[in-house]
Amino acid sequence: MSHSPVPTTDDLDIHPGPALLAGLDDGPGLEAHRRRHGALLDQGLDHLLRVVSDVHGRGGAAFPLAAKLETVVAQGRGVSGRRRPVVVINASEGEPASAKDTALLLVRPQLVLDGAQVAALAIGARDIHVVLPGDRPRAHHAMTQAIAERANEPRSRLRWHATTAEGRFVAGQSKAVLELLSGRPGLPVTAWQPDAVAGLNGRPTLLSNAETWAHVGLLMLRGPEAYGGLGTAEEPGTTLLTVSTPGQRPQVREVAFGTPVRSVLHADQAGLPVLLGGFHGTWLAPEKLRHATVSVAGLRAVGAALGAGVLHAPGPGRCPLELTATIVAHLASQSAGRCGPCFNGLPALAHSVRGLVDGDPVARRRTEELVGLVERRGACAHPDGTSRLVRSAFAALPDELAAHAAGSCVAVRRARRTGNLRVVAS
Amino acid sequence: MTHRIRVDWPACEAHGLCHELLPEVIDLDEWGYPLVISEVDDVRLSEARAAARACPRLALRVERT
Repeated sequence: MSHSPVPTTDDLDIHPGPALLAGLDDGPGLEAHRRRHGALLDQGLDHLLRVVSDVHGRGGAAFPLAAKLETVVAQGRGVSGRRRPVVVINASEGEPASAKDTALLLVRPQLVLDGAQVAALAIGARDIHVVLPGDRPRAHHAMTQAIAERANEPRSRLRWHATTAEGRFVAGQSKAVLELLSGRPGLPVTAWQPDAVAGLNGRPTLLSNAETWAHVGLLMLRGPEAYGGLGTAEEPGTTLLTVSTPGQRPQVREVAFGTPVRSVLHADQAGLPVLLGGFHGTWLAPEKLRHATVSVAGLRAVGAALGAGVLHAPGPGRCPLELTATIVAHLASQSAGRCGPCFNGLPALAHSVRGLVDGDPVARRRTEELVGLVERRGACAHPDGTSRLVRSAFAALPDELAAHAAGSCVAVRRARRTGNLRVVAS
Repeated sequence: MTHRIRVDWPACEAHGLCHELLPEVIDLDEWGYPLVISEVDDVRLSEARAAARACPRLALRVERT
């Protein structure tokens, strides 16, 4: 199995933040958490829907949480037996370059659990499943500990279940997570219906990513003033980012929506392309980066995606096209191998993107053809995310593509000029 | 009312029967997997259902759009 081009780690530089990451000195324990925020009250479904009306999912797709909640409830409120809804916390963090859910497990696990607990009570769920990352042992241990602390709380109606996901890219996809929870291999299957209608063992399933649940927890504990007025009118509040660059520990930072993207980057990174959203994300060209703000809608408007909140700066001397080729090869190796177009198409795509780096004259046409052949032709978003990354390289790295077609490289040339050639392409 | 073909990708093993039975709607890619190239209109609905039934992997569904 190939190694991730950006290392997966739970050794992080977690910056204190204004809301989720406030008061880190208190530690992650349940007692300190309750002292800080008070008791978690079940105030009913209508209250929950009001409070989370602006929250969208932080797993990558930015789907409105309230819509999921309403779909689950529409399946029959308070139903029991085999149609009783379940709640799932996806903390598996399948995206290797992301570490923000890992950070929450380490320093704010109780906030994540509170969000899922209050939702479970509101929709009449009894079982809450927590899916933990198999490849980040410290985070795994911290969350296991946090769940154990809950055993002493007077909430006997709820049952907590912890499951470990394999450290594989596609294992974090929601359908793969539900397969794992139902006792089958954690690999994606075809979704004929949304999880909220028929998810885990056919039950209406409210599945969200760990950060999404932490926001729900904070909002239910503190109300709308939890964010202290931060954010924009359209996107109130804050979001977590994982900011990484080769040779440094990844940083996890909480920023308000509307924050300029360049403000979280080093000065020497701001004039270079940045990978936004992770391996399934998009390259952002320097001229777009200049005006970009942290915003789901704003980034969509410039053809980029915030995704799971990853900002990876390859840094001076590292070629973004070379990195793209390495990532696509890694993504091809991470295919579950179940869907023909992904199993066949991703290795072919990896080969043709490598051809772009090597200046192969037919690589451009072949790459465009393959991108069209893999999109929307799989059980999960793996082929779509991979083609999104490649498409964004075409849009954001035209100079680099032209240079490589002529047997050169912009990044290496620039680094030679500035005496900054630290890392040569692998 | 139009319908469309959906493929259960993990189930599909590229037998290619769907293309034989429904060439106007399903083409095959370079690896032999189905490429859905058009929707299913009312005229072809029964043919589409027959193709779905004939799939040796039962990997096709005809859904309302």
